[in-house]
Amino acid sequence: MPPTSPKLPKLQISWQAWFTGLMFSFMYLPILVLAFYSVNESAVSAQWTGFSLKWYARFFHDGRIQQALLDSLKVALGSVSIAAVFGTLMAVGLSRYRFLGRDLYQNAVYLPLIIPDISIAVATLVFLAAISMPLSMGTIVASHVVFCLSYVSLAVSTRINSLDRHLEEAAQDLGATPFQSFRLVLLPQLFPAIVSGCLLAFVCSMDDFLIASFTAGGGINTLPMEIYSRIRTNLTPDLNALSVLLILASAFAVLLAEFIRYRSEQKRAI
Amino acid sequence: MDSQQFGSTDKGLPPGLTRRSRRRFLQQAGQVALGLGLTQGLSSCGWRLGNVRSGPVKASSDELFLYTWAQYVDDDLLRDFQAKSGLKTIRELFDSNEKMIAALQAGKGDSFSLLYPSEYFIPKLVKAKLLAELDHDRINGLNNLMPQFRRSIADADNHYGIPFAWGTTGLIYNQEKVSDEIQDWDYLWKNKEKLLRKMSLLDDYREVIGFCLKTLGYSINETQPDRIKEAYEKLSRLKPFISSFTTDGWRTKLAAGDLWIAMAYSSDAIGLLKENPKLRYIIPKPGGTRWSDWMVIPKSAPNPNAAYAWMNYLLNPEVAANVSQRLAVTTPNAAAIPLLPSELQTNAVSYPPPDIMARCESMTALTPEAEKLYAKYWTQLTS
Amino acid sequence: MPRSSWTQRLEPYLMLAPAGVWLFLLLILPTLMIFQISLVPDIKPGDLVNPSSLGNYLEIFDPIVLWIVARSIGLSIATTVLCLLLGFPVAYWIALLAPRRWQNLLLLAFVLPLWTSSLLRSYAWISILRPTGVLNTILSFLHLPTLDLMNQLPAVLIGMTYSLLPYMVLILYASLEKLDRRLLEAAADLGAKPLEAFLQVTVPQVLPGIAAGVLLVFINAIGDFVNPELLGGPSSMTAARLVYSKFLGASPDWGMGSALSALLIMFVTLSIVLLLKYGDKNARTL
Repeated sequence: MPPTSPKLPKLQISWQAWFTGLMFSFMYLPILVLAFYSVNESAVSAQWTGFSLKWYARFFHDGRIQQALLDSLKVALGSVSIAAVFGTLMAVGLSRYRFLGRDLYQNAVYLPLIIPDISIAVATLVFLAAISMPLSMGTIVASHVVFCLSYVSLAVSTRINSLDRHLEEAAQDLGATPFQSFRLVLLPQLFPAIVSGCLLAFVCSMDDFLIASFTAGGGINTLPMEIYSRIRTNLTPDLNALSVLLILASAFAVLLAEFIRYRSEQKRAI
Repeated sequence: MDSQQFGSTDKGLPPGLTRRSRRRFLQQAGQVALGLGLTQGLSSCGWRLGNVRSGPVKASSDELFLYTWAQYVDDDLLRDFQAKSGLKTIRELFDSNEKMIAALQAGKGDSFSLLYPSEYFIPKLVKAKLLAELDHDRINGLNNLMPQFRRSIADADNHYGIPFAWGTTGLIYNQEKVSDEIQDWDYLWKNKEKLLRKMSLLDDYREVIGFCLKTLGYSINETQPDRIKEAYEKLSRLKPFISSFTTDGWRTKLAAGDLWIAMAYSSDAIGLLKENPKLRYIIPKPGGTRWSDWMVIPKSAPNPNAAYAWMNYLLNPEVAANVSQRLAVTTPNAAAIPLLPSELQTNAVSYPPPDIMARCESMTALTPEAEKLYAKYWTQLTS
Repeated sequence: MPRSSWTQRLEPYLMLAPAGVWLFLLLILPTLMIFQISLVPDIKPGDLVNPSSLGNYLEIFDPIVLWIVARSIGLSIATTVLCLLLGFPVAYWIALLAPRRWQNLLLLAFVLPLWTSSLLRSYAWISILRPTGVLNTILSFLHLPTLDLMNQLPAVLIGMTYSLLPYMVLILYASLEKLDRRLLEAAADLGAKPLEAFLQVTVPQVLPGIAAGVLLVFINAIGDFVNPELLGGPSSMTAARLVYSKFLGASPDWGMGSALSALLIMFVTLSIVLLLKYGDKNARTL
């Protein structure tokens, strides 16, 4: 810090800016390290031993990890699409109707975000044991829908609260059935919120290790389960290449969601 | 807080709907709860914690699900088996017998047609009624097995299983970092400060408590509570100096120099020794364990035919020799040994000389009480 | 427009029932079952669930388990404090000092690593912290003494702080952004020193945000499994890891695992209720 700064506030600015810069490097350090290792010739050495794309080549020939990626995508797509429909309906329903236990219902939506994953995982396993439901990929999807519902309905609820309810009423006054007004008036307005809720849910489903490992049937391996087992058995270098590809994919998804949100905000502002 | 908003909603609906829907909702919720026996449960009439089962894997008969140790299967093996039998094999991995049975009981069991438990663990699986008896008529080459594996205490006459690999448990260390010639297990205790967080032990309570019992002059299958306690206390003096309890994770760390010394299965050591001449594997005094891992077919196996095909494939001396060479496991198949390269046949790690083998002890199943005690001390050691 | 009355009457159910039933069946009911099972000692698959004793809870009062629970709470508190100390200046700078049009982008960039796989982030920290890893290579290159952090609590703490810092920054930012700057200016005009102004004007205004951030980080920290599991060593068992091992570990005990899991749920719920009761309504935005 320059000791001759004329005014105190200026000094403050530079102090916080420096610190923020430091924290940014803290956040990106692990990602840079993964990227570094993914193109490093040697898998174990922390030093640079030469550029190589062999880990990416190995990743693309690794059938097991691709199968796991496929399983994860199936689970995430399945649970997100169920949650998209039910979660949107729930959010709209909660905003339309009042009934006894509505507050309870609304609070239950927050629960999956509050209760630790491990407790949800364990509880789901016990429940499946109690009804003697065989574990399969379907059971992972069913348990993922729970937290996906939360993300979707929370995103949609927030949006509904900022909407003009009169539009829908006007549509109904003009002769639209509630379903028509829902489909033609409300849904288009909710669309950006649904998409961003779904993306969030999708990323969380792709990242879930605990719930999946408790509810997966034998022979089904989601990507996080495969990554976990690889980290535990050996620090396999394919993981570096995988990380970089996954990071790029999720960064793309997040930016896309942000872009959709931004666009919809702009549209509203006009 | 949002009452106005909802007030306006009610206008669009016939009066009374909300109240009626409220009642209906409650009724419905009540019915669901009743149907599920929740109310029964809450009034403590009890529901049953059913067995969690794994869903039937796609009924296809050309797939084989294996549950095995990390090292026992590789892609080449699966490809070769598929080429010869037309069966597609999918593997899941475990790193200790106890975790395998926990996973089976938590619902992963029904999809597997073949498991790889250790010899001493077979009686426990049999007792849990998980295993199917083998039909010897469908197995070729049983007589190729070494005689000690035809009359095992855990599974006489290969009633339930066929051995796949065997070996010893000892220490592997980096001679560049540890210059001393290690003779006995007590080296770890005597040099614990020097080896601070440079050593790892297996993540397996029978092995770890077992070797410690051995250093105290007891059997690795000790069941006397005070002796087990003595071993636990000795181990807890070593624990603060250990990097981690790990079955597979030590391999790259040893190669990278993060670890200097690791407790290891001989089968894992052989492969590393080939790649890295700085490493050395020993069976410290007063001795280690002699283990073997077997292939068994669970009762619920969706595809026992494929399991038999897999067993027969691995019993083939040529395949066994190939596998033994490539995966660096020691084969129990006597007919395969002459097919191995001569330097492997005389490899002291794979086939230790008789005086060292005499130091090693086989693991046997424990009494349930002793097992509980081991598990209890293990929880304390690992927490 | 004529609408048949039964579709009208059915509509609320069609909207609310699917999600409601789903949440009830796969969240509420299982949680209640956990509470029941936690009252059955030594339960095995196939057993009748007949809540009869507090034995499993008594097992938690074993000194070893208590120590594990205390370690979990201690780690979570340390993580929360670290996140607050590290996160506040960042949120403050982005919200108040950074150029306005860059604020959203900066915030987005800061939380972006959150969207990568949590396992892979821990894996990256293993590569950094292991004895011959990136950190020590850099340190020895600079002729500094190397650090031995891996497989111990400091490594776990670093991993957890790294995972949860973005949450803290997000919430603090939302709170700081709404700050009434005129009050700050007024304080400065009245001759308050920057630190004074900060403590007496800024902090009270963002207190609800701080409370929300602290709570969010704390409940996530207490349930964290991945970081303690992958970065910890033989002495870093936590409550979440213990629950996992009581189901899928070497010595399964579903009853005791359920009891511990029930305690976790109660503990987290209690923290939320306390915050809602004594904290600001802003926390509802959680």
